[in-house]
Amino acid sequence: MAGTHIIKSAGLSGVSGFGVAVEVSITNGLPGFVIVGLPDNSVRESRERVRAAIKNIGLEFPMRRILVNLAPADTKKEGPIYDLPIAIGLLAASEQIDPVSEKAMFVGELSLDGELRPVTGMLPMALSARADGIDSLFVPKACALEASIAEGIKVYPAGHICDIIDHLRGERPIEPAPPYDLAACEPDRLDFSEVKGQPSVKRAIEVAVSGAHNILLTGVAGGGKSMMARRIPSVLPPMSMEEMIESTAIHSAAGLTNKSAPLLTRRPFRSPHHTVSTSGMAGGGKTPKPGEISLAHNGVLFLDEFPEFQRNVLESLRQPLEDGSITITRAAWTCTFPSSFMLVCAMNPCKCGWYGHPNGKCGCSEEAVKNYARRISGPILDRIDIFADVPSLAYGDLASAGKSESSAKIRERVTAARARQLDRQGTPNARMSGDRLAAHCVLSREGAELMRAAYDKFALSARAYGRILKVARTIADLAGSRGIETEHLAEAIRYRNSGMLET
Amino acid sequence: MSEEYPIQSVDMNDPRYPRLLRLIQNPPRKLYYRGDIALASKAAIAVVGARKATDYGKWAAANLAKTLVEYGLVVVSGMAYGIDSEAHRGALAAGGKTVAVLGCGVDVCYPTRNFRLMKEILEQGLVLSEFEPGTTPRDFTFPLRNRIISGLCVATAVVEAGLHSGSLITAERAAEQGRSVYAVPGNINRAMSFGCNKLIRDGALPIVVFDDIAKDLKLVRADAVEKRAETLGVAERAIYAALCRRGEMTVDELCLETGMPPQDINGVVTVLEMKGVVETAGGRIFASD
Repeated sequence: MAGTHIIKSAGLSGVSGFGVAVEVSITNGLPGFVIVGLPDNSVRESRERVRAAIKNIGLEFPMRRILVNLAPADTKKEGPIYDLPIAIGLLAASEQIDPVSEKAMFVGELSLDGELRPVTGMLPMALSARADGIDSLFVPKACALEASIAEGIKVYPAGHICDIIDHLRGERPIEPAPPYDLAACEPDRLDFSEVKGQPSVKRAIEVAVSGAHNILLTGVAGGGKSMMARRIPSVLPPMSMEEMIESTAIHSAAGLTNKSAPLLTRRPFRSPHHTVSTSGMAGGGKTPKPGEISLAHNGVLFLDEFPEFQRNVLESLRQPLEDGSITITRAAWTCTFPSSFMLVCAMNPCKCGWYGHPNGKCGCSEEAVKNYARRISGPILDRIDIFADVPSLAYGDLASAGKSESSAKIRERVTAARARQLDRQGTPNARMSGDRLAAHCVLSREGAELMRAAYDKFALSARAYGRILKVARTIADLAGSRGIETEHLAEAIRYRNSGMLET
Repeated sequence: MSEEYPIQSVDMNDPRYPRLLRLIQNPPRKLYYRGDIALASKAAIAVVGARKATDYGKWAAANLAKTLVEYGLVVVSGMAYGIDSEAHRGALAAGGKTVAVLGCGVDVCYPTRNFRLMKEILEQGLVLSEFEPGTTPRDFTFPLRNRIISGLCVATAVVEAGLHSGSLITAERAAEQGRSVYAVPGNINRAMSFGCNKLIRDGALPIVVFDDIAKDLKLVRADAVEKRAETLGVAERAIYAALCRRGEMTVDELCLETGMPPQDINGVVTVLEMKGVVETAGGRIFASD
């Protein structure tokens, strides 16, 4: 008997999933097995895996003409995730199992003996399935935890295709995966209490983190720039559930999920090496893959040795820093990735790294120092809110036995300040829009006078003016103050670009 | 005398070890001293020169030391006859602080006739040496001592030096250590001026008026500091005074010095910047002229 059967599955486009209908048709004719619907090589190879798996579990592989269509037929499909839906469709079409519910969805790669292997992008696919009204999801065991993050959908974890067949035949039902358990996230291993001295830099970091302001740390080698930057995750405010799912979906699409704890409960911290390519940073590839800026979405992008990055890589940060998302266009596709992150950069003042150190080791000429700083373009500098100088540590600071403040304490203040911002305008201060800025950053008469004097004295740009206001707002939030007081504004003015880096 | 001013020592692991000396190529591991060791970490200028000094040289040394003291600087020298002694005396007479670095043990008075000068230095300042107590001066101890003199100081001023003067070694060390070198110009028909004038030809900065060094360091006279401080608030005054004492500081150093948290320091520094009292560059804050 000839038959057609449709099985629901899913695909991944950028960082979001979409529904795919796997249509399997068996007709009389010369035995053959064809897959259509823009499959890539790994999908076409499904034929061999499915054939072997069905034979190896002792079922019959129909010796007739088999046609598989992956709809929508105009979207490219890739990866081995269609092994399972094709196999199930084949078995249903050849009436070896009963027709499958329209509200069930299957994803998974098959081994030759029928075992199920995990796939990438499980969470975005599960989310799109939920949106499409799917109620049960059959996934490889290793992906079940990740799929269960999508609340309200029944997830059936299976280790072997036989488990699913037994379930569908009603012989041995699979126990659905329990809802995702938000286990208490373990604290960061790195802590600010390990950083000796540097109270002013720590303060600048605290302000930056509170308002999600972009920060640039400049200082001689060995001042502890990277050490402090790497401890920033330990003071970041907690994520909302929405943010966790957003970030996890991006990591899932990039195949970076941790299978034992798939949900990102801490804000991501990405520190790409300075040899990163433009598509590595911004996203791209043959099929759309998120780059470092998207992996840092809702978290921190740390660029150590900032001027060493290729110029075009740094320039690619301009639009995402402004918009919080990036649209990448290639001949074959256009894709928008979210990329709302806090930028943390660290750099030496000159090529040898010693400019300004009291030991006088620096051998760079003034011109060489300027050239080094000039590697960072004006538009990028214009998007940095806080410029902090990291002084070299005096020996006494290192030898002092006292421990500094712990990350937990700093995080408490940061969280409170961030909560105030979200209550007031729904976004961190750094992403405040122009009209909000005018409404929430009102200066007192004294403050306005100070600002005016600073504007003239330091020849500030209009953009710098707005940045100083936002940073002052954050400082006021840290102090728990409703209005921006003069001392908050005065501190914010100190964090401007003091001219070491010309724009 | 040694009962009154006991001999103590400080090694490199000690936070009291002189701040700038730690940064030179071959700092002494251990220093013996008598007097106030904190002076060795303050902003200091070395004033050195020939033993067989002319009247002009002695006059210049004493007045240079006096001027430096007026700017709140410490005067460092080697307690030898001639220029060194005059530099110490000039500083002491102006009520300033002075440090003598010896080429022998700190319990040995060399030259012996400077016994009274040494006592005065102990009263108002500091005597230090890297040599064990009891060490007698030898030919090789003086060049070694010279690197400490320049190493303690932000700048070294040579007042008078002949062709083969030991002061030229001190100047050379200072240049190697990345510190500024100044020289007092002299008549070109005098042997004792030759070393200094040659230093100037080789790139040392000439001292045209005694305020030159302090001006270059952007320091302000102690009396001018007081006048300016009167127009400032309490916190502003504390920060400004600290800057005038030390010349330049980072925010962190100001935190330690004043006990204020960094956010307050940053706020006050902005206001001081507006008032034109301080300047900032590369993470350091300077008192303006």
